Amino acid sequence: MLTETMEEVSSSSRMATGLPVIHIGMATCGLASGARPLLEVLRKEVAKRNLDVKIVPTGCIGMCHNEPLVDVTIPGRYRVSYRNVKPNTLSQILDSHFQKNEFAKKYATCQIPVEGSVPYEGLIMMAEMPFFKGQVKIVSKRCGIIDPLSIEDYMGMDGYKALEKVMTKMTPDEVVQEVVKSGLRGRGGGGFPTGMKWSLTRKSPGTEKYVVCNADEGDPGAFMDRSVLEGDPHAVIEGMLIAAYAVGNAVKGYLYCRAEYPLAIKHLRKAISDAKARNFLGENILGTGMSFDIEIKEGAGAYVCGEETALLASIMGERGMPWPKPPFPAQKGVWGKPSVINNVETLANIGHIILGGGEWYASYGSEKTKGTKTFALTGSVKNSGLIEVPAGTPLREIIFSIGGGMVEKKIPFKAAQLGGPSGGCIPVDGLDTPVDFENVVAAGAIMGSGGIVIMDESACIVDTAKFFLKFTQDESCGECTPCRVGSKIMLDILTRITEGKGQEGDLDELVRLSMYVKSNSLCGLGGAAPNPVLSTIRYFREEYEAHIRDKRCPGTVCNELIKYVVIEEDCTTCGLCEPVCPTGSVTWEKGEVAHIDLTTCIRCKACVDACKFRAII
Amino acid sequence: MNETKPVEVDLDDIEEICEGFEKREGSAVQILQRIQEKYGFVPAEALELVGDVLGIPKSKMYGVLTFYSQFYQEPRGKFILRVCVGTACHVRGAGMLVDKVKEELHINPGENTEDMLFTLEPVACLGSCALAPMAMVSGTAYGKLSPDRMASLIKQLEVEEAAQEQEKETV
Ligand SMILES: Cc1cc2nc3c(=O)[nH]c(=O)nc-3n(C[C@H](O)[C@H](O)[C@H](O)COP(=O)(O)O)c2cc1C
Ligand code: SF4
Ligand code: SF4
Ligand code: SF4
Ligand code: FES
Ligand code: FES
Repeated sequence: MLTETMEEVSSSSRMATGLPVIHIGMATCGLASGARPLLEVLRKEVAKRNLDVKIVPTGCIGMCHNEPLVDVTIPGRYRVSYRNVKPNTLSQILDSHFQKNEFAKKYATCQIPVEGSVPYEGLIMMAEMPFFKGQVKIVSKRCGIIDPLSIEDYMGMDGYKALEKVMTKMTPDEVVQEVVKSGLRGRGGGGFPTGMKWSLTRKSPGTEKYVVCNADEGDPGAFMDRSVLEGDPHAVIEGMLIAAYAVGNAVKGYLYCRAEYPLAIKHLRKAISDAKARNFLGENILGTGMSFDIEIKEGAGAYVCGEETALLASIMGERGMPWPKPPFPAQKGVWGKPSVINNVETLANIGHIILGGGEWYASYGSEKTKGTKTFALTGSVKNSGLIEVPAGTPLREIIFSIGGGMVEKKIPFKAAQLGGPSGGCIPVDGLDTPVDFENVVAAGAIMGSGGIVIMDESACIVDTAKFFLKFTQDESCGECTPCRVGSKIMLDILTRITEGKGQEGDLDELVRLSMYVKSNSLCGLGGAAPNPVLSTIRYFREEYEAHIRDKRCPGTVCNELIKYVVIEEDCTTCGLCEPVCPTGSVTWEKGEVAHIDLTTCIRCKACVDACKFRAII
Repeated sequence: MNETKPVEVDLDDIEEICEGFEKREGSAVQILQRIQEKYGFVPAEALELVGDVLGIPKSKMYGVLTFYSQFYQEPRGKFILRVCVGTACHVRGAGMLVDKVKEELHINPGENTEDMLFTLEPVACLGSCALAPMAMVSGTAYGKLSPDRMASLIKQLEVEEAAQEQEKETV
C-alpha cells in the first residue's frame, strides 16, 4: 500500500508535465526584493504571449543577495537561471526562450542540469560558479529547486522515500544505528550526537513520548533554518516522523517556530495539511499502526526560548525559563514525558542519511564533525546568502572563494563573527581555521548554528562586542544574578569605552567579570554571553586600547570618538561642505579654509561625503 | 478617528478563542497570541478572563504576559515599523534607519505616533540578513534600505492610508 502511494505520485509530479516551467524565488529574501510585483508582470507577459507554461514559486537557492531570481526550463533543455531580474528584462528573457529558442545571453547567470535533457552552449553550469563550486548541497538540495508548497514536487525528489524505507525495511533500532553511523551532530549549536540523543530517548521508559523541532532560530544574523523551513518544509516533517518512529511510542510532535518567520509558518501549515491528506501524518500512518501528528507553536519573542528546556516550558504555555539539567528532556520533556528535541537542520538531514546511508554521510566533513553544514554568510561580503559546505572547510574558502571577498573592494577584511551572541570574532590570522565544532572553538569562537557575519576595516570591534552584550543582556531571563547583573556591569564598561571614558584596568575587569558570568550561569545564554568580549580582547586588544588610551575609534563607528577636522593643506576652499551640514557646524567664507565646530557637530558625516577633495577626516 | 477607544472585551469571544485549544492549560501563550491578533494588544480584562477560563491565577498569567516581548498591554499603531537591528543589519547601518524613523516621526523605539498610525519596533533579525539592512511592515519585507528609502516608505504608507480614508468617506 505504501509503495503504491509513492509510485502514483512520481508519475504525476509537476516536474514531468512536459510544459515549460518558470520558477520564481518567493522566499523572504525574494519577496523583500520585489518578487511579488515581478510575479504579476510575469503573469501578464505570459498571458500576452499566450504561452502555455507553469509558473512555480520556489524557495531559497542561497543567492539571496541576487534576488529576485527567475529560472526558465524549456522541456528537453537544462534549467536557465537569471538573477536580479527586473520587469523590463523579464520580457527579453521570455522573447529569447520562446521566440528564438535560446537563453537571454545578456542576463543569464548559469544553467542547472535536468535529467535526460540537453545543456545550452556557452553558459556556465551552476555547480561551476565560484559561489557554488566549493559547496556540497545535501540538506539544502531541494531549496530553490522545488515548489515548497507542492508535496508532489517534494516526492518527485525522493521525498517521503526515507519514511517508507524505515517503516517497511528497518526496525527502530536500525534507524538509530544508521544515525549513529552518520556521525550527525546537532545543528542547533550544541553539537550533541543525534544518534545518541535518539538512543537515550528510545531507552527512556514511557508509553507517551514527544518529538520537538526547535525552529526558534534566535541568533541574529542567522537564517539557515528559515531557508529550509520556507524552501523544503516537508523535509523537516519527514525528519520528525522518522525520529518518532525511532524513539518509539511517540504520540505527538511540536514544531516551535519563531513568530518573525510568517512565511515559514505558512509553508509548514500547508505541508502538514498535505502530509495529512496523504496519510503520512495522522492515524494509522500508511497502514503501519503508527499514529503521529504535528502541532505548530509560535514563539512570542524571547531569545532564551531557543534553549531546549526554556523551549519546553514555553510549549507548555509557561514563562520560557530554562531549568537545571538533569533531568534531561530525554527523561522528562514536554508534559514531563520523554522527549527528543532537535534543530530544524538536524531533522532535515535525516531523510538524506536514511536514503544515502550513514557511511555515505560520514564520508563528508572532518574527523569529529561529519557531513555538511549550512551557513548564513552576511555582512560586508560580496555574495551574501545561504551556503552549504562540508564541515571543516577553511574559513578563507568560505569568505573569499564562495563569498567572493569583500563587498567594498578597497576596504580589507577585519574579522569574521561566528556563532552569534555565544560566539566570537576570528581575525585575519585565523582565516585558515577549518570550520567545524572543535577547530572554531580552538580559535576562540563557536561554529554555533551557522551565522557568519563578515566585518571589514570600517567596523568597530568594541562596538560589536557591545552589540552582542546588549543583546544577551536584553534577553537574559533574569533567573540567575551573574547573568542578569554581571552582563549589565560588563555592558556599562563597554559603553563607557565606546564613549571615550574608558580607564586603565577596564580590560582586566572585563576578563574577570567574564569568567565569573561564564562559570556561574545556569543556561547557555549566560554561560556564553561573555564569549564575544573575550574573543575580541584576545585578538583585538590594540583596538580596545586605542579607544581607552588614545580615545580613538579606528573603524570610525563610535560617535563620541569621532572628531571631524578639515585638513588645511587639502582644502581647496570650495565651500561644498558648508550647506550640507544640518546643524550649521561648518563655517566657511569665500577663499577661506572651512572649519568644523565639534561642540555642535552630530557626526552625521554629510560634510565628509560632500567634500570632493577628501579634506575632511 | 484613530483615538484610543476603550476596547470592549466580550467573555464569549474569549471562551471561543480558548475552546480552539485541546490541551487548554498548556495553551496560555497561544491563547494570548490569538487575543492579541484580535485586539492588537492584550487588554487587562482579557487577561483576567483567560485566567478564569483556564483556572490559572492572575499573577501567573501576568508573568507569562510580561515574559514575552511580543505581547503588548497597550494599543499600538496601525503600521508597526519593524526595523531589524540584528548583527548583519547592524554592521550595514541599521542604526541610521532607526534614527531616520525617530527623526521623521518623532517617536522612540516602542512608541506610537500620536495619530496611532506608526509604531517603531526594532527587532533582532528578520532572517533576510543577506539584504541587510532591512525592515518589515505588515508582513512585507523591505531589503537593502537606506535612510532615504526608509523615509519614502513612511511617506508611501501615509499616502496610502490617506487615500483609503478618503475612499471610506466617499462611500
Ligand atoms: C540561549 C540559547 C539559545 C538557543 N537557541 C537555539 C535555536 O534558536 N535553535 C536551535 O535549534 N537550538 C538552539 N539552542 C540549542 C538548544 O538548546 C538545543 O541544544 C538544540 O535545539 C538541540 O537540537 P540539536 O541537537 O539538533 O542541535 C540554543 C541554546 C541556548 C543556550
Ligand atoms: S544564564 Fe541567564 S538566561 Fe540562562 S537561566 Fe540564567 S539568567 Fe536566564
Ligand atoms: S559631520 Fe555632520 S554635523 Fe558634523 S560638521 Fe559634518 S555635516 Fe555638520
Ligand atoms: S568641501 Fe572640502 S575642499 Fe571644499 S571647503 Fe569644504 S573641506 Fe574644503
Ligand atoms: S531567500 Fe532567496 S535565495 Fe535565499
Ligand atoms: S540581521 Fe537583520 S535580517 Fe538578520
